[in-house]
Amino acid sequence: MSPFKPRQPQMLDSMYSMIALVFILVACVELCDAATVVDVYRLIQYDISGVPFGSRLATLNHHAGSLHFTPGADLSRTIVIIPIRELNITFVKEYITQRKPLGGLLFLLPQIFDFKDKAASRSEDEVHDKGLMKTVLAELEKLLVHANIPYPVYFAFENDDIDAVLSDIKRNDATGQPATATTGGYKLVVSAPEPKRIASPIITNIQGWLPGLKADGDPNQLPTIAIVASYDTFGTAPALSVGTDSNGSGIVALLEIARLFSLLYSNPKTRGRYNLLFGFTSGGPYNYNGTQKWLRSFDQRLRESIDYAICLNSIGSWDNELWIHVSKPPENAYIKQIFEGLSNVANELGFEVGLKHKKINISNPRVAWEHEQFSRLRITAATLSELSVAPDILESTGGLSDNRYFVNETAVIRSIKLVAESIARHIYSHQGENIKVFADDSSLAVNPYYVKSWLDILSQTPRVAPFLSKNDPFVMALKKELEDHTHEVNVQHEALDGMFTFYDSTKANLNIYQVASVTFDLLLLLVLGSYLIVLFSFLVITTRGLDDLISLFRRPPSRKVKTA
Amino acid sequence: MTLFHFFNCVILTFGPHAVYYSATPLSEYDTLGTSVKAALVYLGTAIVKLVCLATFLKVSENDSFDPYQELLKALIGFVDVAGLYFALTQLTHRNISQNHKFQAVGLGWAFADSVLHRLAPLWVGARGLEFTWDYILQGLEANANLVLSISLAALGSLMWLRKNKPKTLIPIIYACAIIVATMPSITSYLRRGLGWHFPKVVGFELFTSLVMAFISWQLFSACQRPSS
Repeated sequence: MSPFKPRQPQMLDSMYSMIALVFILVACVELCDAATVVDVYRLIQYDISGVPFGSRLATLNHHAGSLHFTPGADLSRTIVIIPIRELNITFVKEYITQRKPLGGLLFLLPQIFDFKDKAASRSEDEVHDKGLMKTVLAELEKLLVHANIPYPVYFAFENDDIDAVLSDIKRNDATGQPATATTGGYKLVVSAPEPKRIASPIITNIQGWLPGLKADGDPNQLPTIAIVASYDTFGTAPALSVGTDSNGSGIVALLEIARLFSLLYSNPKTRGRYNLLFGFTSGGPYNYNGTQKWLRSFDQRLRESIDYAICLNSIGSWDNELWIHVSKPPENAYIKQIFEGLSNVANELGFEVGLKHKKINISNPRVAWEHEQFSRLRITAATLSELSVAPDILESTGGLSDNRYFVNETAVIRSIKLVAESIARHIYSHQGENIKVFADDSSLAVNPYYVKSWLDILSQTPRVAPFLSKNDPFVMALKKELEDHTHEVNVQHEALDGMFTFYDSTKANLNIYQVASVTFDLLLLLVLGSYLIVLFSFLVITTRGLDDLISLFRRPPSRKVKTA
Repeated sequence: MTLFHFFNCVILTFGPHAVYYSATPLSEYDTLGTSVKAALVYLGTAIVKLVCLATFLKVSENDSFDPYQELLKALIGFVDVAGLYFALTQLTHRNISQNHKFQAVGLGWAFADSVLHRLAPLWVGARGLEFTWDYILQGLEANANLVLSISLAALGSLMWLRKNKPKTLIPIIYACAIIVATMPSITSYLRRGLGWHFPKVVGFELFTSLVMAFISWQLFSACQRPSS
């Protein structure tokens, strides 16, 4: 019964090479052989003045479940997969507001939200009720962003693999057997490092000038008109926050306006007696922190020379009404002038422009509109936007549903015409006259291809400021484009102020494994054990006879007798 | 849990070899040395086979069944038989009966084959989280292979070591030996040429191994009779 007694040296020789082989294998092998690997995007994790918000964890290693779980089941070790199409907002609300334990959440977004997959976003099929989808998403985002969620929350895009997995899970759940360690099923694994705080996030402002024509011997400084758009976003999933409308549309409009006026200003005959200042500001979602820093960096003379500033914000998906938001009373002469300039042009273009007045409360740190930063420094300014009311903090800043699919480029083009035309009339003193400087079919017409291509690029570029590095390719591209149209382009790096702290690890790979349960393995062990015992008995009986087998079991007692 | 599965698969793959050794008289007559030597011979044979395969075979891009290539592969497969011949005839053993010699050689042969072909995939695959039946099936295949190896060794010992065997049985012995020796090619044909799935192939292997074992057992005892 003891096979390894003699000939040890020989055995050892062969064993050594075996052991070496095993060690080499252990070193080489990386355990990544999942059935499916999908890209997932984590819910943002941030603190406001030390109060934690968002998803607080990144690593995921639990069984998958669907919404069809048996009521009352313990979900603290289950990752619930929820397709947005069949989102049950009351379930999510219940679990988040009552802080019920969950293993994790995985939301599946329809393909059209995938900005990387161009073919999908072009196809107009699928989501017929896109308005409904948008409201559902907005509600969900509001819930997620303002909650402190102690488990990982991820977003992924629907695809065939994950759909197959989900339908499997649903079938499992329908039979009343939720997947846990003992019943098998699917396991979702994200191995991500602990999210780290982003140390001193940097925001970058870019400005460019189109200097006006100074008359000879005129000692006075030329007045300046500023056109400003904040370019960064804040979204539920930072890696998906492309913000085509908020504020991609503003960036595109600003670039096109800069291009049009650079054409005018390149010829001394058409060069106006106004300086034009173009500014891309960062930190928009955080009370326009970048705008504040940017304005503070101006010297007094420059600040006083600004005649007025127009801020562009979310102008990409409106039908026939735009809003001008101001913080000075409408009776103010400058405000009146701006409003009339814009509304005249709007009437000619065939739509309405409304005026909204919202007073600034200096004691309130919340800055809802970009122009309020100007107004705080007593610079006349207005924001042009499709939003009729001031958004709350971290709202309308480029959420999940704010993508190319929901933005209408003709709306952007009309906004560009409106702003460019009204500024041109102001510069060349044609107020109230029906002159089209930027008429279609002229050499100064708005270029729809330029608008479209920039809109497309912006719709593929997540721009959450804390995750943009100092020399991010996107910032560099924006700077280069502004350099093409304007002079004296400056880039200003500032630290993001205040109360916001962000955490990294916004993207990860999700491995989906089909796993067997522990009971299955136990059963298998039992079967194998009995198989080996049967084999042993069979072999003993056939080769040595039944008596030998019986004597095997008799031997121990006989030994006892001997020792006794 | 996954390590558990790995151990299960290891038990299924290598357990029968150990059980065979300890249950049969092999352990009583201390034939481990023979088995180890046979395993070393297998190692040498495997290297020779590899060199031959690398020299004569083209690397096929797709997984299709190419008769010419498969024929070549089957011919190279007979290197195994040569190796077995060497192990059975040339290795000097202590006085060990033919009866035990072929069993020890077959056992060592099958064990070395399992270690070389199956341990690494097991270690890599069965420890992963993902569950597949493949490794359990592979373990069953190892069992079939053990039976086939011992049968082949039995037939080989009949062919090369036993002098006075009934003349009528000789063609049958040779035919069986050829069938057993070409089993790898046959299964390869089933898998690629006919597109059989892995479970079906394993089932076929188990079935044929049992049939061949029975036949070779009958042949062996038939040859045993006149001498005794």
